[in-house]
Amino acid sequence: MKRRNSVMSRVFTALVFLFLYAPILLLIVFSFNRGNSNTVWTGFSLDWYRQLFHNRLIMRSVYTTLLVSLLATVIATFAGTFAAIGFYSLRRRQRAVLNTVNSIPMMNADIVTGVAMCLFFVAFFAFWSSFAAWFNGVQHIVTLPTRLTLGFGTLLIAHVTFNIPYVILSVGPKLRQMDKNLVDAAQDLGCTWMQAFWKVILPEIKPGIASGALTAFTMSVDDFIISYFTAGSSSSTLAMTIYGMTKKRVTPEINAISTLLFVTVLALLVVVNLREAHMERTGQQERRPRSQRLTHFFDSPRGRWVRRGTAGVLAAAFLVVVVLLTSATNAQPVVNVCSWGEYIDEELITQFEEETGILVNYQTAESNEALYSLLKSGAGDYDVIVPSDYMISQLIEEDMLSELDYSQIPNFSLVDGRFKNLSYDPENRYTVPYAWGTVGIIYNETMVDGPITSWSALFDDQYAGDVLMFRNSRDAIATALSYLGYSLNTTDPSQLRQAFELLRDAKSRGVYQSFVMDEVFQKLEGGNASIGPYYAGDYLTMLENNEDLRFVVPEEGSNWFMDAMCVLKNAPHYEEAMAWINFIASDEASMANMDYIGYASPNTNVLENYPAYYEEVYGEALDPEIYEIMAAPAEILDRCEAYLVLPPDIRTLYNDLWTELGI
Amino acid sequence: MSKELIRLRNICMAFDDELVLNNINLYINDKEFLTLLGPSGCGKTTTLRMIGGFTTPTSGDVLFDGVRINDVPPHQRQINTVFQKYALFPHLNVFENIAFGLRMQRRPDPADPRKKVKIPEEEIRERVMEMLEIISLKGFENRRPDALSGGQQQRVAIARALVNRPKVLLLDEPLGALDLKLRKDMQIELKRIQQQVGITFIYVTHDQEEALTMSDTIVVMDKGSIQQIGTPEDIYNEPKNAFVADFIGESNIIDGVMVHDQLVQMYGRQFPCLDGGFAPNEPVDVVIRPEDIDIVPVEQGQLTGTVTSVTFKGMQYDIIVDFKGFKWLIQTTDHSPEGARIGIKIDPDGIHVMKKSQYSGMFGDYSSFSDEYDELDDAGLEPDEEESGDEE
Repeated sequence: MKRRNSVMSRVFTALVFLFLYAPILLLIVFSFNRGNSNTVWTGFSLDWYRQLFHNRLIMRSVYTTLLVSLLATVIATFAGTFAAIGFYSLRRRQRAVLNTVNSIPMMNADIVTGVAMCLFFVAFFAFWSSFAAWFNGVQHIVTLPTRLTLGFGTLLIAHVTFNIPYVILSVGPKLRQMDKNLVDAAQDLGCTWMQAFWKVILPEIKPGIASGALTAFTMSVDDFIISYFTAGSSSSTLAMTIYGMTKKRVTPEINAISTLLFVTVLALLVVVNLREAHMERTGQQERRPRSQRLTHFFDSPRGRWVRRGTAGVLAAAFLVVVVLLTSATNAQPVVNVCSWGEYIDEELITQFEEETGILVNYQTAESNEALYSLLKSGAGDYDVIVPSDYMISQLIEEDMLSELDYSQIPNFSLVDGRFKNLSYDPENRYTVPYAWGTVGIIYNETMVDGPITSWSALFDDQYAGDVLMFRNSRDAIATALSYLGYSLNTTDPSQLRQAFELLRDAKSRGVYQSFVMDEVFQKLEGGNASIGPYYAGDYLTMLENNEDLRFVVPEEGSNWFMDAMCVLKNAPHYEEAMAWINFIASDEASMANMDYIGYASPNTNVLENYPAYYEEVYGEALDPEIYEIMAAPAEILDRCEAYLVLPPDIRTLYNDLWTELGI
Repeated sequence: MSKELIRLRNICMAFDDELVLNNINLYINDKEFLTLLGPSGCGKTTTLRMIGGFTTPTSGDVLFDGVRINDVPPHQRQINTVFQKYALFPHLNVFENIAFGLRMQRRPDPADPRKKVKIPEEEIRERVMEMLEIISLKGFENRRPDALSGGQQQRVAIARALVNRPKVLLLDEPLGALDLKLRKDMQIELKRIQQQVGITFIYVTHDQEEALTMSDTIVVMDKGSIQQIGTPEDIYNEPKNAFVADFIGESNIIDGVMVHDQLVQMYGRQFPCLDGGFAPNEPVDVVIRPEDIDIVPVEQGQLTGTVTSVTFKGMQYDIIVDFKGFKWLIQTTDHSPEGARIGIKIDPDGIHVMKKSQYSGMFGDYSSFSDEYDELDDAGLEPDEEESGDEE
């Protein structure tokens, strides 16, 4: 009985650990996968790590993360140490109250801290702008900036704030362990309070300060939620960048960077724990001879000079970093761009920065709807955004976009006539097209009978359990509308209800395996599903991992979409935004982008010359069928329809139907 | 003695609403060994910290060489302190601990008196080594404090203070953490060092024996007030009130009435004594030291009582005698069996008459007193809560 019990408990323990570590282990294993799939192992390779270091988005955010963590650690350690000394000198009861107050932020949910800070900053900025306006009005000697935004500064303040309690928590006990009379003794022997602090208190609490600083640094590197709410649009920590990348799909590159982050944090934790264990062990014992020799050297007159010199150099270096940093962020022109994940060849960003000296803050949003709510909340402080057609018309309707100065965008003339003056911007005053594509059905040739040509496949019992469907109302209902032969922009409630019935029936008959967005990659690549509607450009990515996949724009017609670059009203960097748009619209940039993202360029020359470019770069001819999928020819495009913004009551109806469907 | 160095004038000190020191007036001479003696919480450590500059009196003046120094910070006073539990710097070795004060010092440059310079390294080395010799710890200069015994740490703490050549050394219960044997040795050692360096020592303790052994002057304190100031002999032989009599040595304290000068009445009997200056028939406290009582046959005794307990103490017997329900302690070399009826006789110079005070009636019965005696003897090993100063 007893024996069985112990086997059971061992199995149980093993299961617990498996449950805890299997996901991380899987992630680490697939970071070494040669292919870009997270389900199919194609061999060992360090390519993803190599690529990581060439990904400027990631490198930039690694830099931001390290910088903010280091600065926050230094500031928080400084402030926290003195706060702990302040606490220490208080009476016991006051100290107990303050210690409780101190530990509340650590217990508090990060999301609450994050949202609260965001609100606080926004409120402060509002107050500041009216104050600055008044101040600039009454005097003309100093001009205060009226517009403050979330950015590196607020991110740093937030990190300092949540780090301080950890420092206090680890310095406090060291102070309490210290002999109270030590400070008196130092003062008695000729020290002022400040000298006593440096010569006596500091060496005593140094271990506490060090582990406090390490903890703070770990917390900073680790933090996502609070950063997410306070970093604004111009800076992005590593965790935020990883999150942004996963919105598209989990690439092995993310696995690689996550592995590195995991290992870094793990290493820091091990160092912290080892230090603590070491401190406990040496607490009673005499110190080791080596360290004694070393301290003896530092205690000697020559050593003191060395020590003082080192401290001076460190302080100076720190100062230089801070000054450089602030001047760099202030002096250099900047443009804040918000686009979609994996939607640009990042070489272009470097190239643009080198050519113009304008720094690009490149951020990504999850969807048009997410971007919209971000802009509405006032937190999205972008210059250039790249929304889709229907969202553009909505933004124009709500007067959120700024007219473009086309005299500064000569490359607009390179855009094919077909893609100018489209319905979302009939006079073409607000937009420059970025990329376009079609929606179609992706299917696994080996799992279906003969080629699929009609939307009917998505409502057919024949493939029940193998079919995927969009998990967003507009795209899902559009497949049914196309099948029924109605306009994708219909405002007739009965037509919409009919489309909805079609979906609901198919759902109740068990046709759909699941409603998905980016999971579609894993499911189709891994052969877990046979049919699913998705975007042409993404099909090309899937094809690299599974050669059996095919793409078709059904005969009934489909949706084609255009993403275009727009500039927000009151964009802080309008001139830089014009330069960026003009650069992206150029033949070279547009060509590189098309090759990288797999979506078609709106540029006439690029569309014409892409096959030749492909052959030149890859050394083999481009399959014309593939090219047709990338850039649909006129006859296919003719049977497709772009989304328009829907009237509010129809948008509500969409939401209601979607809720009724119960996804 | 020599000239006055420190004077405390009308010092009062209050923490929150509690009066910790109540109108302290005291002067301390140069090269004097003065002890502040009293039980926990009597204000002796607070007085010491005030001289050291770690606290400021609520009212009154601290004078040093005639100059008011109430607001002079500790590092600018020519005073150094040996702290309770030594307060050695754990991160520095013995040499650096002792050299700490010298390294902090700046003095006028002999070449250019307007400039202040550090003490040269050779001089520091010389002076630290000299101190190590005085405290007999040569060869220990590279040790860390936590690698030293309690007595060694104690001596390093003294050297660390003395190396600065202060005019006054303050010692706050410096022997409290040592065991009995070491404490006795260190008492002699401290006295030797004081005579060798020739400066003023102000010493705080609650151990009356320590005070009697080392001091030139003892200041007995209780409840924030000075009870008596005097030489050890004065304090022992002529206690001013029941508290001092009780605290210093062992005493039988009896209610009495001063019939007239040189005649005191106890238990309805009259005893000749040497004291005078009281009103006729004034109620008084009478102190009789246990060793001043002679045991005599019953018929010759001024009083007769019954022996209730006998304890052999080596040099003498401690005998408790019951006089009409009131227990006396008698120390004698003669043995009397338990239960025996004995007479006692007290010479006039063995009787000390004191005015009645707030302490009268608190220490009368020796049976309750003996517990306290034990307690005081062990007190050195107990943590001295209230004495640790202004914290609470």
